[in-house]
Amino acid sequence: MQLSRCHPCFHSPTLCGICGSTADRQGAAVAAMNAMLVHRGPDDEGSYIDPSGVALGARRLSIIDVDGGHQPIANEDGTVWAVLNGEIYNHPRLRTDLLARGHALRSRTDTEVLVHLYEDYGDALVHALEGMYCFCIWDARRERLLLARDRFGEKPLFYRAWGKRLTFASELTALQSGLDQADAVDPVSLMALLALGYVPGARSMLRDVSQLPPASVLTWSLEDPLARVSRYWQLPDLRPSAHGSLAELADELDGHFANAVDSRLVADVPVGVLLSGGLDSALVAAYAAQLSNDRIKTFTVGYDQGDVDERDAARRVATILDTEHRELILTSAAVADRVPMLLRQLDQPVADPALVALHAVCDLAREHVTVAVGGEGADELFAGYPRYRWLALSSRIARVAPAPLLALGAGALRSATLDGRLGRLAEVVSPGDVVERYVHWATDGLAGTSCDIWGAALRQQGSPFDPVADARHVIARSGVSGIVRAFMTLDLERGLPGDVLAKADRSSMLCSLEMRTPFLDRSLAEFAASVPIAAHAGPRNKHLLRTLFERTLPQLGEAKRKTAFRVPLAEWLRGPLRPALEAQVARGPAFSEEWLDRRAVRVLVDQHLRGRADHSRVLWSVLTFGSWLDAQRGTSSL
Amino acid sequence: MILTTPDYPPATGGIQRLMWGLVTHATGWTTRVVTLDHPDAAGAPAPVSTRRVRSSEASRHTAIARLNLATICEGLSWRPDAVVSGHLVTSPGAVLLGELLRIPSLQYVYAKELIHRPRLGRFATTRSNATVVLSEHAAEIARMAGADATRLHVIAPGVDFAERKRAGDGVPTILTVARLTDRYKGFDVMLRAMALVRARIPAVRWVVIGDGPLRGELERTAQTWGLDASVLFCGHVSDEELDGWFARSHVFAMPSRLPARGGGEGYGLVYLEAAARGLPCVAGNVGAVAEAVIDGETGLLVDASDHVQTAGALVELLADVDRAAELGAAGRERARTLTWDRMAIALQALVVDLVASRG
Repeated sequence: MQLSRCHPCFHSPTLCGICGSTADRQGAAVAAMNAMLVHRGPDDEGSYIDPSGVALGARRLSIIDVDGGHQPIANEDGTVWAVLNGEIYNHPRLRTDLLARGHALRSRTDTEVLVHLYEDYGDALVHALEGMYCFCIWDARRERLLLARDRFGEKPLFYRAWGKRLTFASELTALQSGLDQADAVDPVSLMALLALGYVPGARSMLRDVSQLPPASVLTWSLEDPLARVSRYWQLPDLRPSAHGSLAELADELDGHFANAVDSRLVADVPVGVLLSGGLDSALVAAYAAQLSNDRIKTFTVGYDQGDVDERDAARRVATILDTEHRELILTSAAVADRVPMLLRQLDQPVADPALVALHAVCDLAREHVTVAVGGEGADELFAGYPRYRWLALSSRIARVAPAPLLALGAGALRSATLDGRLGRLAEVVSPGDVVERYVHWATDGLAGTSCDIWGAALRQQGSPFDPVADARHVIARSGVSGIVRAFMTLDLERGLPGDVLAKADRSSMLCSLEMRTPFLDRSLAEFAASVPIAAHAGPRNKHLLRTLFERTLPQLGEAKRKTAFRVPLAEWLRGPLRPALEAQVARGPAFSEEWLDRRAVRVLVDQHLRGRADHSRVLWSVLTFGSWLDAQRGTSSL
Repeated sequence: MILTTPDYPPATGGIQRLMWGLVTHATGWTTRVVTLDHPDAAGAPAPVSTRRVRSSEASRHTAIARLNLATICEGLSWRPDAVVSGHLVTSPGAVLLGELLRIPSLQYVYAKELIHRPRLGRFATTRSNATVVLSEHAAEIARMAGADATRLHVIAPGVDFAERKRAGDGVPTILTVARLTDRYKGFDVMLRAMALVRARIPAVRWVVIGDGPLRGELERTAQTWGLDASVLFCGHVSDEELDGWFARSHVFAMPSRLPARGGGEGYGLVYLEAAARGLPCVAGNVGAVAEAVIDGETGLLVDASDHVQTAGALVELLADVDRAAELGAAGRERARTLTWDRMAIALQALVVDLVASRG
């Protein structure tokens, strides 16, 4: 771990990003898009305008080769240009290989490695990369653009292909500034946001603007000016029948995880760990502490309201690992002060309330480090969500018990209004379609009820978004077998990039902090896929990962199931966020433009404020979308 | 001498070939083999007296227990001068027979079995009179597993030196020969590397000879990654067919790595067999493999966890025919010196010493 050089601190937000256009001879579009990134706090900016009219731009938060990493960067004869957002973790090895093969490299940056790998392998260079990235390569000889996004979707990339023209940027709002007109809300994406809490797949909140899906490349050329998207990697459905003992698997996992953490600790700037109090981030911290030469820095967040404070758990981990630990208490006053502004700054809205806590802890971390590692991705790869096992059990029950009997049992359990684990039994014994129940479970029922607040503009939409059909489509396309594996694949394809990683990217980048995720390592993920499902979700959820956890941090005992960075949302909406919520309903463009039904939302707000029901999830989506639309329209409802 | 082993032809694998080399070249003494039954045993050649223990209907544990018992019975009735155990699991019978008849017992150990059966490993390597390993790497593993260092002997196996045949069909071909059982042999890294190799050499073909429980996973991965047209899983093939693939191939590749618990390749006989046929090797730079392949002389050693480096080595050898031929020729010359007779003489000398020391 290199911590010798400290990066100067930026207190204004910074966002790394790339952009480009295929019809920008004067460079005006790229300049405008770069400008949108500039106001967020630049480290460095650059652009290249090709005589063909293709232009590339980049803004940079310097992590490696702080002084020598100017972008765009070209090969020896200036025929291949590249811009990169993110990190290529294996770039030191790639660089050594390239030098051995006779390439002349002028900097230590990962961007330059891309240029030379492209010379050797063409579009297949993506198979050589380990990291979180989106990049663009312009091949001037072939007059051809290549855009690529990392395997799990850690770094975003938006584009609009219109006629023969392609414009792209790693931010939705930056992209808008490079287009003549692009402010129309996509109604189907809004339906998805309300149902799922995020915009899934290749969609964006703006009409005619797409996201490059994870593990995909897009090619465009002057000769064939159509955006062609293809997938370059996916996790294979190995259906492993045999493997070693649990202890042997844990040994193997230990090796893969150590490599993954180690490669993510390499930086020319200080690195810290975000502790949520749960198993995943504790494991990351434990390995970082072992692998680092220095005492590591850890950060966590707590609240002055509600009962979801995890500071005690995080503090226990920090004490055992002897970390330099810091805590932040997100007070009601701070929530009232910062959340409305945060929601306005969301590039593409993510209606996940944990974003508030993650942003707060990123803000705290940024005062002391430039790079932070976290536990994202563990639940999807190591079967961490309890719903996987519950619904697999449900499927086994349905095979032996008649449907009318199950319906009777489910009805009885629901009428008993049981909470928690017992309440889940109603879902488990319910005889309905398993995919439908999964989607309802994962969205707390919003998938079925969010249409109640649709405004006229959504209700008149001809082909509404159907979250269950979307889930079925993803599962069928992947071809995976088995209930648990099917739902893990669904979450990897949808929730991980659309919610978990988008949330991590937005909250960290808004604080000028680079967030790295060791669990989303290719070798580690492929190893996880080679483990029989019984070892992942047999006796308990995340069984194999828990085994490693109990071996690594035996002092903590068996880890409790928890959601990373939970927030007391119901209390916030009744307290510090009440003015923002009521202002949205009273004056927000989301209602005046008839995306949402004011009367229906008012009923929900009223019930929630009186404590007669908990409508936190749906009201948070309303507040998120409303604030985003406020920012889009340049209005303020508050 | 009695040789007791669960691994013996017509079953296939490195240990089986070693045992076969031992009985067919150690002609200075009379050997009897005690081994497990095999479905194809009836038609298989039997150069020495071979007693086969029924195993088809029994569990593995029962079959091994019977094999140990049969070794003792055979020894008590025949009264050999020495007993050689070809695997850890036959060590109890071999050690007991040695004690009963007051004859030396020799124990072969390789690598991974010492990691997986540490108690049996300690028993075998401390109670037998000599422990034979195939490489310095295996000797190190044996020492770490508690073996008595003074009783450790490194005797490398021989290699079948076949006539060099070339029968190219014009397709740049990478060959791997292995049972598809152990992940540490680097099949996953090869699949990742193939996506890069194909970008440089579009017509490339990776031929995998051998079968095992990993085959389904590997085939599904190749299919998912769109590599199925460039990868050919042949399963188990006849000797003639194997010779044909050796003749058609340009590079032998198996980037074995050290597993998490250690062990890995105990020797890497297959690299020497490929070298004997004039093929340059791409192999992992760890463990016994680094003894079997000389980096830059008979092949290229790579970081076996790095598919990009592996791809670079494969492309280098497929694209540079002269370089590949140079390494292949050097490998063949080296293999020429590693004869089975040399191994048999070394083993026989060890047994003579042990017998003499017993008075």
